[in-house]
Amino acid sequence: MIQRRKFMVVTAAWLLPGSLWLTRPAGAQGASDKASALIKSIGDQLVSVVNGPGGERDKRARLTEIIDSGVDVDGVARFCLGRFWRSASAEQQRRYMELFHQVLVNNITSKIGDYRGVRFQMGRTQRRDEDAVVSTVVERPNNPPTNVDWIVSSPAGDPKIIDVVAEGTSLRLTQRQDYASYLSHNNNNIDALINAMRQQVAEAG
Amino acid sequence: MPAPPSRLLVITAVLLGGLSGCATPPPASDPDAVADYRETNDPLEPTNRAIYAFNNAVDAAILKPVAQGYRYVVPARVRGGIHNTLSNLASPVQFSNDVLEGKSRRAGDTTMRFLINSTAGVLGFFDVASDWGYPNHDNDFGITMALWGMPAGPYLFLPVFGPSDPRDAVGLGVNAAMDPFTWVGQGAAVRALDWSRWAMNGIDQRERHLDDIDSIKKTALDPYATFRSLYRQHRTSQIDDARNDNRATIPVWFPQSTTPGQVTYSPTASRN
Repeated sequence: MIQRRKFMVVTAAWLLPGSLWLTRPAGAQGASDKASALIKSIGDQLVSVVNGPGGERDKRARLTEIIDSGVDVDGVARFCLGRFWRSASAEQQRRYMELFHQVLVNNITSKIGDYRGVRFQMGRTQRRDEDAVVSTVVERPNNPPTNVDWIVSSPAGDPKIIDVVAEGTSLRLTQRQDYASYLSHNNNNIDALINAMRQQVAEAG
Repeated sequence: MPAPPSRLLVITAVLLGGLSGCATPPPASDPDAVADYRETNDPLEPTNRAIYAFNNAVDAAILKPVAQGYRYVVPARVRGGIHNTLSNLASPVQFSNDVLEGKSRRAGDTTMRFLINSTAGVLGFFDVASDWGYPNHDNDFGITMALWGMPAGPYLFLPVFGPSDPRDAVGLGVNAAMDPFTWVGQGAAVRALDWSRWAMNGIDQRERHLDDIDSIKKTALDPYATFRSLYRQHRTSQIDDARNDNRATIPVWFPQSTTPGQVTYSPTASRN
């Protein structure tokens, strides 16, 4: 067993750099730098809006802008609906997508929006499969520092955030399991989910 | 004087045995739903949800207001110091688990942290060791059993303790048994200290999560399922952190072939 594993490790060690070389022509380092630059820029923008002047409505509008520019919201939305995306009608997909944009802004606002004095520190950037993982530490007043990893994907040029992992918990996976549980307790009725999301958005104003 | 906290764990286990409502699995004709049911792995969901509701009621009535009061009255710096002190008191258990997992560098970190913080850190109030290059890490017997290859089992929601699984529930008991403070001394004074430490731990933990729990309850459509997901992901990441910490124990004067934190071949890793 140990022998085989050793063999596999050695083989992998030889194959890995080779395959990376083949599949990623020179651009790998560039993609990591781009990912890290994106997170730095998005992070700075978020912090300046949260800590800056302006009313709640104004801040929300600007957060929405930042999120739409840096996050692959449509991709995250499809991931969160999981297998139900395929069974949803085109009309349901459209309404879900529209609501999801607002829900995501609400969730992010509720996590960082109220924290004047929020700060973040950049950490290292690593590659995982096709994506870059940018590590940061987020400090909010009154709260212990949180390790936050940003998963950045750039399949077609522009890097976009596809997931946020706080202390090992993935935002999109958690959201997906929340929706899956809600659906399974509501006869897998996608309209019920859409109505619940609409109510959530209405409550958050 | 009530029984020590560790004994309550046994009572909890007995109570749980008495309340075992099961979820109805979906029909085999719906393979997607069956796959979901397996992935969720929460066959006791109705019972778990009842305990979740019970814990929420207790939390709203007692724990949350106490944690809010604690945050309101005690300045952030002092709260941080109290957290450090409690964390320092948990070092012996942390160390035992580091050793049981065969993670020598982690055991070394824990030892140095305990020595430095207990002295230079004034009985653990200041976390000097982190600044001196000995960072903290999470460890408990649940993580140890995971590294030994024991599966987590289905989801369990425990009264008072909250999200868990059979492995972590056993870990909770073993952790309490491993703690020297469970066994040191006798009499009312020691018992009272034991209880205050336990209560203070609860208040400290609740205060640290005040905002996050509020935010989850506000944004989740099904908070029970969201906490279930978060708990499992968090445990998995703690276990992976421990598993992947295979820093070599090479003397400093020896040519260093590996960088700290890097995953390297080691006999412990190959057994997993």
